[in-house]
Amino acid sequence: MAKTYDYLFKLLLIGDSGVGKTCILFRFSEDAFNTTFISTIGIDFKIRTIELDNKKIKLQIWDTAGQERFRTITTAYYRGAMGIMLVYDITQEKSFENIKNWIRNIEENAAADVEKMLLGNKCELNDKRQVSKERGEQLAIEYGIKFMETSAKASINVEEAFLTLASDIKAKTEKRMEANNPPKGGHQLKLTEIRTKDSWLSRCSLL
Amino acid sequence: MLKAKEASYCEQEVNVPLMVQKKDSKSDSLNTETLRHFWLVEDMMTFENIGFSHTVDGRKFLVCADCERGPVGYHELSTKRCYLSLKRVVHVDA
Repeated sequence: MAKTYDYLFKLLLIGDSGVGKTCILFRFSEDAFNTTFISTIGIDFKIRTIELDNKKIKLQIWDTAGQERFRTITTAYYRGAMGIMLVYDITQEKSFENIKNWIRNIEENAAADVEKMLLGNKCELNDKRQVSKERGEQLAIEYGIKFMETSAKASINVEEAFLTLASDIKAKTEKRMEANNPPKGGHQLKLTEIRTKDSWLSRCSLL
Repeated sequence: MLKAKEASYCEQEVNVPLMVQKKDSKSDSLNTETLRHFWLVEDMMTFENIGFSHTVDGRKFLVCADCERGPVGYHELSTKRCYLSLKRVVHVDA
């Protein structure tokens, strides 16, 4: 059977407990029709299909399933991840401060070239805001990643955020493919050399 | 809004119980029914939108990615196959 898509990206949602990661990906099971059975066992991941520049992209999105309560997430969870949404709650200063811990955890466990994005969730609760939008932007600049304020509850920017992250991963993937198959007469880039050095240092989990 | 992908699936007759309907009691015993008609999906990535539950006895249950209603079928970890119940989904012409 022919593949029905062009790209497959594995994405993770990471951040403190209670920042609304699960809401970003999953609806809460308050609905009357939701069977207790499903809400009891819980949802592991979802597959979503999006289209970007006429390319069909499958997103496999994982939630941490409460692992974050132990303040660390295992390497197994990061395996194969191409994109990570770092989520904090704009009404909880602590969750914002912890972003840098999460980034460290990612650097220690995930692939060095994983695409990251910062999300300030619950932006519908402006009156309870503890973290200004500027500080979010500033932190994102510091890490050289993109930033958005989202509201899973009011469906603000959630889809946009996933599209942005997916689009960045796609651009990166295509760039790499081009480098591996350079156009005729083109100069062969020594990508492997650069990458080895990169992942070598930042991937050692013993350091 | 459901993920039926017109052709590519073959219809398979699988006799599997343990498909849970609305829960009414709080007892441990699950309310199940036997379903026989499934769409067999070899690769989970064939789905447009779908949710997977956590694993229970070697299987993950399939739910609607939007409303999370389910199970609409299950995924067998050993074979990596997905079985979508004909009875649990609505078929609409695209």
